[in-house]
Amino acid sequence: MGSILLDGVNVRVAVDGHPEPKTLLDGISLNLTEQRIGVIGANGSGKSTLLRLLNGLVAPSHGTVTVDGDDTVRSVRAVRRKVGFVFTDPLSQLVMPTGREDVELSLRRSVRNPKERRDAATAILNRFGLLALADQSIYELSGGERQLMALAAVLAVEPSVLVLDEPSTLLDLRNRELLRRTIAGLSQQIVMSTHDLELARDMDRVLVVESGQVVFDGGADAAVEHYRALSAAGLPPVGAASWPHTTESA
Amino acid sequence: MSGHGFLLVNYVPGTSLVHRVPLWLKFLLVVGCGMASFLVVDWVVAAGALALMCLAFLASGAGPARLFRAVRPILPVLAAIGLFQWWQLGGPVAARIVLNVLVCVVAASILTATTPMQRLLDGVVSLAVPFRRFGADPERFALTIAIMLRSIPFIAGAYSDVRDSARARGLERNPRALVLPVFITTVAYARQTGDALAARGLGEPGPEDDNEEDEGTQDNGTPGDAGRR
Repeated sequence: MGSILLDGVNVRVAVDGHPEPKTLLDGISLNLTEQRIGVIGANGSGKSTLLRLLNGLVAPSHGTVTVDGDDTVRSVRAVRRKVGFVFTDPLSQLVMPTGREDVELSLRRSVRNPKERRDAATAILNRFGLLALADQSIYELSGGERQLMALAAVLAVEPSVLVLDEPSTLLDLRNRELLRRTIAGLSQQIVMSTHDLELARDMDRVLVVESGQVVFDGGADAAVEHYRALSAAGLPPVGAASWPHTTESA
Repeated sequence: MSGHGFLLVNYVPGTSLVHRVPLWLKFLLVVGCGMASFLVVDWVVAAGALALMCLAFLASGAGPARLFRAVRPILPVLAAIGLFQWWQLGGPVAARIVLNVLVCVVAASILTATTPMQRLLDGVVSLAVPFRRFGADPERFALTIAIMLRSIPFIAGAYSDVRDSARARGLERNPRALVLPVFITTVAYARQTGDALAARGLGEPGPEDDNEEDEGTQDNGTPGDAGRR
């Protein structure tokens, strides 16, 4: 299993109208060696930024991120060959009109011969049980099928690490389960952010991110409980928060 | 987000004569139709060309339903143009203009309906290879075409979704309620697509260029900031 090392990482962005940059991640130092790592936290807590660091989509403002020794800033191409990235919305990830063509697009650089490329794409789609959907327009696929197609296109180039940014957010229960089973069968090192606490419980190690910091790092069950407690803190009592009533005048 | 088949038809697998026509000849057909639309001055000739194109499309086995779906989105626009031209320049000119546009759309649909996208990209790469000496990257050129083709239905889908939302709120007559959200959605889509391409290493130089210093496809802001690409 590979090693992903984050050493004293800060990420800041300039915000229009504000003199000081906004801090998205602050003082993150991690050594990720487990096969399945989950990242949970509230919206806007910094989960996606943390994941984007791993593929070099975001560069740290301070500190370094390395994947198997390759720096994500200085060796970004090498890092991207090792680290596949699956986004929340597969429609923005699938570039080609059909799944088969998108998998072939992934293979264009590594398999030059069109016939071999087509055969390789067929084999990959077959492996994921997607062959019957290969030539359908991506718009005709269900959310789960699209997400699996996006996953197949990323895995076509055989990355050693797979980063998934909330992959189940747009899926119904059945498709979420399908995705969960597919991910469980992968040999790659997985780093996945999710709001799905059931999915998080499948992980070997879970990070809880809050306000740009890792506030808990440990086993899945303990992390989920920590996150639940964190989320419940400060909530108004049940029934206290309600929409204002409008008084109708006769 | 719902997508829409818009103007150009997706590839329809087949072994018809039209499928087997060499790619360069299909390219030539599309370019020829585009050029002819400026040269043909007789609406009868334009009508004949359209009939021929429709026959070629149907001969590919893609079917009349796909042919209709290919031209349907532009029919309202063509009707408006046709009526305006009829009023300004008379019936024959209006008919010629409308028929010439339809010839171009059907010719382009023949190309996309009978050629797999990967072959189309290979063809574009071959066409762009001579420009490599001027610094052009043929693979990136082909990818740009692919993204353009892919983005048209997305934007059409965004418009449809926004129009439905505006209707639901009773704002269907407010142009700002239609244009602004489509614009914002399109920009967001462009950013997400850019991120997805960068994450997959698409559009970057191949492994043979790996000795070069890595640069360019990353959020590198000013010192102290994680800027966006």
